[in-house]
Amino acid sequence: MAPKRNNANRGASPNPKTATTTSATVPLPPNPPPSAPIPGSRPSSSHSAAHPKTSASAPVSQTWDKVVSNLTSHYQKSTPQRTKLLDAFMAFLVLVGVLQFVYCVVAGNYPFNAFLSGFGATVGQFVLTASLRIQTTEANKNDFPAVSPERAFADYVVCSLILHFFCVNFIN
Amino acid sequence: MLRSTSPLLSLFAFLLVWGAALVSAVSTTGNRLLAVFDDVGEKENYSKFLGDLEGRGFQISYETPKSESLALFHLGERAYDHVIFFPTKTKGLGPNLTPQILVNFLNANGNILHTLSSTTTTPNTLISLLAELDITLPTERTGLVVDHFSYDTLSAAETHDVLALPPPVPVRNDISPLFSADAPAGQLLAFPHGVGAVLGPREQLTPILRAPKTAYSYNPKEQSEVLEANELFAAGQQLSLVTAFQAINSARFVLLGSAEMLQDKWFLAEVAAPGGKSVKTFNREFAKRVSAWAFQELGVLRVNWIEHHLNEVSAVNESNPHIYRVKNDVTYTISLSEYAYDKWTSFSLPANDVLQLEFSMLSPFHRLPLSLDKAHSSPEASAYTASFKLPDQHGIFNFKVNYKRPFFTNIEEKNTVSVRHMAHDEWPRSFVISGAWPWIAGIGATVSGWVVFVALWMYSAPTDKKVGSKKTN
Amino acid sequence: MSAETLQVLADVGKGKSTRGVLRVIILALIAGASIASRLFSVIRFESIIHEFDPWFNFRATKYLVANGFYNFWDWFDDRTWHPLGRVTGGTLYPGLMVTSGAIWHALRALTIPVDIRNVCVLLAPAFSGLTAVAAYLLTNEMTTYNSAGLLAALFMGIAPGYISRSVAGSYDNEAIAIFLLVFTFYLWIKALKQGSMLWGALCALFYGYMVASWGGYAFITCLLPLHAFVLILMGRYSTRLYVSYTTWYALGTLASMQIPFVGFLPVKTSEHMPALGIFGFLQLLAFLDYVRSAIPSRQFQTFLWLFAGGIFVMSLAALVVATSAGVIAPWSGRFYSLWDTGYAKIHIPIIASVSEHQPTAWPAFFFDLNLLIFVFPVGVYLCFQELADEHVFIIVYAVFGSYFAGVMVRLMLTLTPVVCVAGAIAISTILNNYLVAKTPTEEDQQAAEAAEKKGSKSGLKSATKPVVGIYGLWSKSLMVAGMAVYLLIFVMHCTWVTSNAYSSPSVVLASRMPDGSQHIIDDYREAYQWLRQNTKEDAKIMSWWDYGYQIGGMADRPTLVDNNTWNNTHIATVGKAMSSREEVSYPIMRQHEVDYVLVVFGGLLGYSGDDINKFLWMVRIAEGIWPDEVSERAFFTPRGEYRVDGEATETMKNSLMYKMSYYNFNNLFPPGQAVDRMRQARLPEVGPSLSTLEEAFTSENWIIRIYKVKDLDNVGRDHISATAFEKGLKKKKTTKKRGPRVLRVD
Repeated sequence: MAPKRNNANRGASPNPKTATTTSATVPLPPNPPPSAPIPGSRPSSSHSAAHPKTSASAPVSQTWDKVVSNLTSHYQKSTPQRTKLLDAFMAFLVLVGVLQFVYCVVAGNYPFNAFLSGFGATVGQFVLTASLRIQTTEANKNDFPAVSPERAFADYVVCSLILHFFCVNFIN
Repeated sequence: MLRSTSPLLSLFAFLLVWGAALVSAVSTTGNRLLAVFDDVGEKENYSKFLGDLEGRGFQISYETPKSESLALFHLGERAYDHVIFFPTKTKGLGPNLTPQILVNFLNANGNILHTLSSTTTTPNTLISLLAELDITLPTERTGLVVDHFSYDTLSAAETHDVLALPPPVPVRNDISPLFSADAPAGQLLAFPHGVGAVLGPREQLTPILRAPKTAYSYNPKEQSEVLEANELFAAGQQLSLVTAFQAINSARFVLLGSAEMLQDKWFLAEVAAPGGKSVKTFNREFAKRVSAWAFQELGVLRVNWIEHHLNEVSAVNESNPHIYRVKNDVTYTISLSEYAYDKWTSFSLPANDVLQLEFSMLSPFHRLPLSLDKAHSSPEASAYTASFKLPDQHGIFNFKVNYKRPFFTNIEEKNTVSVRHMAHDEWPRSFVISGAWPWIAGIGATVSGWVVFVALWMYSAPTDKKVGSKKTN
Repeated sequence: MSAETLQVLADVGKGKSTRGVLRVIILALIAGASIASRLFSVIRFESIIHEFDPWFNFRATKYLVANGFYNFWDWFDDRTWHPLGRVTGGTLYPGLMVTSGAIWHALRALTIPVDIRNVCVLLAPAFSGLTAVAAYLLTNEMTTYNSAGLLAALFMGIAPGYISRSVAGSYDNEAIAIFLLVFTFYLWIKALKQGSMLWGALCALFYGYMVASWGGYAFITCLLPLHAFVLILMGRYSTRLYVSYTTWYALGTLASMQIPFVGFLPVKTSEHMPALGIFGFLQLLAFLDYVRSAIPSRQFQTFLWLFAGGIFVMSLAALVVATSAGVIAPWSGRFYSLWDTGYAKIHIPIIASVSEHQPTAWPAFFFDLNLLIFVFPVGVYLCFQELADEHVFIIVYAVFGSYFAGVMVRLMLTLTPVVCVAGAIAISTILNNYLVAKTPTEEDQQAAEAAEKKGSKSGLKSATKPVVGIYGLWSKSLMVAGMAVYLLIFVMHCTWVTSNAYSSPSVVLASRMPDGSQHIIDDYREAYQWLRQNTKEDAKIMSWWDYGYQIGGMADRPTLVDNNTWNNTHIATVGKAMSSREEVSYPIMRQHEVDYVLVVFGGLLGYSGDDINKFLWMVRIAEGIWPDEVSERAFFTPRGEYRVDGEATETMKNSLMYKMSYYNFNNLFPPGQAVDRMRQARLPEVGPSLSTLEEAFTSENWIIRIYKVKDLDNVGRDHISATAFEKGLKKKKTTKKRGPRVLRVD
């Protein structure tokens, strides 16, 4: 008996989703360049579009540059403003986390509980924000039948408050 | 700063005044003295000695070992506080004075002065008792100490069995000079027809008066002219003529090798060492001191009070708390008094001696000298104090003062305290520790960034109204 | 019965609200049954705390309600582990005590003052009712059959595997921990199915509560990441998994570090590394998932998957390096001995000596689970049929739970929930197939025949397609009756096992007189009460560590070692004192300020749990620290036997434990006929003599013997000479001096 893929049972085909979301958000050329901008959406949508870039014969570094530039341009154009806000906050958290970790490596981790709570706060907040991002992107609607984006945000606020409480208590 | 000891001090003062009003000079453990004679009439020979004792406040009862009413214990308590055994000719001392009863008497804080004579064999009871105390007498249960160089030329020129000895000096530097002559020099002690004993290594034993190096002990009945080396009982300073034994509970037992030296005859006699002039004997003074020591009038120490407290700025005014914390500063003070014949005076430590405090759990963590604390000392009591920091180890600790010196009461005081760990709110807060600031800043940045983000999110436009508005919970 | 009546009944039963009410009533009845079946010992004896460990928990709870939470948190217990003390506030799991304290305060606030002892005794049954409800909730997530949940609740409520640690009076951590375990699993499954952060946070909070309650929380810490890992390996990475797992991990780890006893363990020990590793791996997978959707190339994707695999291997290597360098502690002894079962006997004899840590014999599975152990594999197989994410969880839990339950008897407890769930799934499948299709209609029958014909036409009988109904009333009623009989036998078995095997308080022993009436042996409490009433308040008691908690709880006296066994050297010191000659033991006892020594002796009654039977463990533990002074070999005869009679070795006869056990024992019998009923040995005519201890108390059946340690002899003798003198024996005099004289030096 082959294991069945849950997601196949639960979600509808993502193709129509892509179309509706792209129409609702920033207007795009009718034939969008290869990379589908919504994160987490099914690979079939990306296969349906044209993909001039990647071929086996092209050198990897060239591909890599093009990939990156492609990625950034489509990210700029096609992510909704709220998601960009999320991403900015996540980048900020990464920065704070990296700073703390660098400080720990350079100057030692005394007191250890302070290091754990400071670093843990940023990591935990990042993870919660990533979860919120996943839950509020439209492509993943069918993954979360019970959680609407508003409910996701409410969950997010509650979980963040719990996180902050634990961190402040732990750092004493 | 002493706290809340004023009740103790006032109580102590009251007792002192009250006690002083009752008696003039007496032993600290009671004044009921039992003198055991073979024949009560013999007490006439010791009238001066016994008179001195009565003058110091003792009530003397005279009994013989055979009397049936003689009992050292009555209903579980001591009936007498002190016993003097004079030489008796009986083989045993009867069922009322078994060795076990005598050991129990010592265990019950009774004191015994045991006198020997070379003319009488010691009863078996007392030999058993001495064996328990690690004191050995010659196998014939009596002997004679002679010295061909320190004898009394006036009374024993031929027999050399009356020793003329200088008063004893302390044999070690930790022994107090209680029995030495004050002044002048040249005093002589007469030791007529005495028995020398050999002491074992037990800590509780201390010789008061040792035979001079040229003395030896022999059995005049069986050994006469020449003594083989392997027949010699003991010689020289191995012979202890007057022995002191202080038990752990400070009950005292004195073995006096010559009962005759307490007789009136020898209190008034004059003796002369070979090549010396005749002097009055030191015997009366020596007898007074030896009996005073034996009957707890001399060399008695007492702990008046012990106080320890927290010595920190924020401390509550509490004495002797049951629990401290690691690395607390504490101060410990102990007050001692010494008794000499009739009053308690402040105890001054001998010159090279140190009173030590141990702070120990299984083994000492601190061992500190206690120094004199003039603020809490008085003419009747002297206080010794030490201040230190508790170790960084939690557990159940003891403040121990262990001061055991020959001729002084054993002082063994133990106060138990618990030393606890740091409570969860006694650690320095993180904003005090400079190393934690980056991470406090990290948390602060996270929380404030989050608040800004939430505010911005709630004000920004939702992504899609069409699909996401229906709640599917 | 006509079809119409049946139809009416079926319609009533089909109503949703009726079903809901029925479910609630059934759950309440199940909870009531589970509470009731745990009350045997309370009814037979009294409301008393059982065993050993619960006494410590009870004492801690009494301290908590007397002194408040902050004093409890900072409690320095100076009445245990004398003279080391124990920082109890930081070395226990406070969940149980805080729960009881909260319930006590809540009842008082409602003006129902219940004594704290009764709260503690009845806490476990109360929570077992809640566990049954939690099992119901968990099973409901697994299947769509309604009966599965109720069956699981029933099984969980009365299964002896769980009852053994949750009878009334068994006030131990498992009392609330198993409830929290099942409930946390339910919350995890709910979070995973919904992909909701809120459920993940709830799971984390209950996980934190579980960490506060029981050391077995490591089971959850390893099982959830394992589940996530298996899902990833099966290719079932999904955003729901990411959301639920990361929320659980972030909040749960922070919550668990708030407990002082756990502290930094979640980032420093190997037991917690799988969770951290999967957390990191999930971040990587989420990132790759995000990037993959943006990059179309298949080759690039393969490259990235290789990249992911490479990172995984590298981080695993980094973990190994960190563990071997000591930065991360390796598996602690207790957990390592689960993998290497021979490890504990050699290296940590204390762990090996506990009877609950022995491997499980196979009858124990049947004894504790009855028919569930047969249907358990069936349930797991049925999970393979469906294989949604939650079924993978059951499969993983079942496999690992079975392994651990096989290694250690104590871990049967963690196996019981999954056995109940899987068994419920299996039995409810059977019942639903045989019980539901009771009134097949004409249409159904035709459709079924058509299906049959189709199947017979094509020649293939598809085994996976369920048949519409089973038609023969005969077969249906046979199966249903059979299942009913099995279930009834299950209930009877559970009740019998509970009543006979798991309801003994072990503080009070019960036996049968020749005429069948019950004879209570209350020696333990008699001795502890004697201690409580006849010794000074801080008299220190030395005994083997088994009785430490009970002495602290019932006699309220400081002890040297107790069941916490945190300090092996201290226990070895007590072991050395018990197994050495008096001259060696006495200084040890003086140094530790011991006032009384307590031993358990079963020779008069034939009681098997006494100290002479445990003696070799004392010797082994002491030998671990002092191999030069204590040797186990010296306690065996040259032929290799462990004897206590005249043939016993000199070391055995001179050991303190032997002397204390048999002192004065021969005076109970006619001369020369003293018999140790437990070891069936005839003892020598002259019993042992003690010089440094004196007998203070012996209980009615000689089970507990208490000895007082004598003080130093006042006149400075050694104790043997002193005792001989007391008896009146004359000292031997050396008539001839042999060798040189010993001179006194001043």
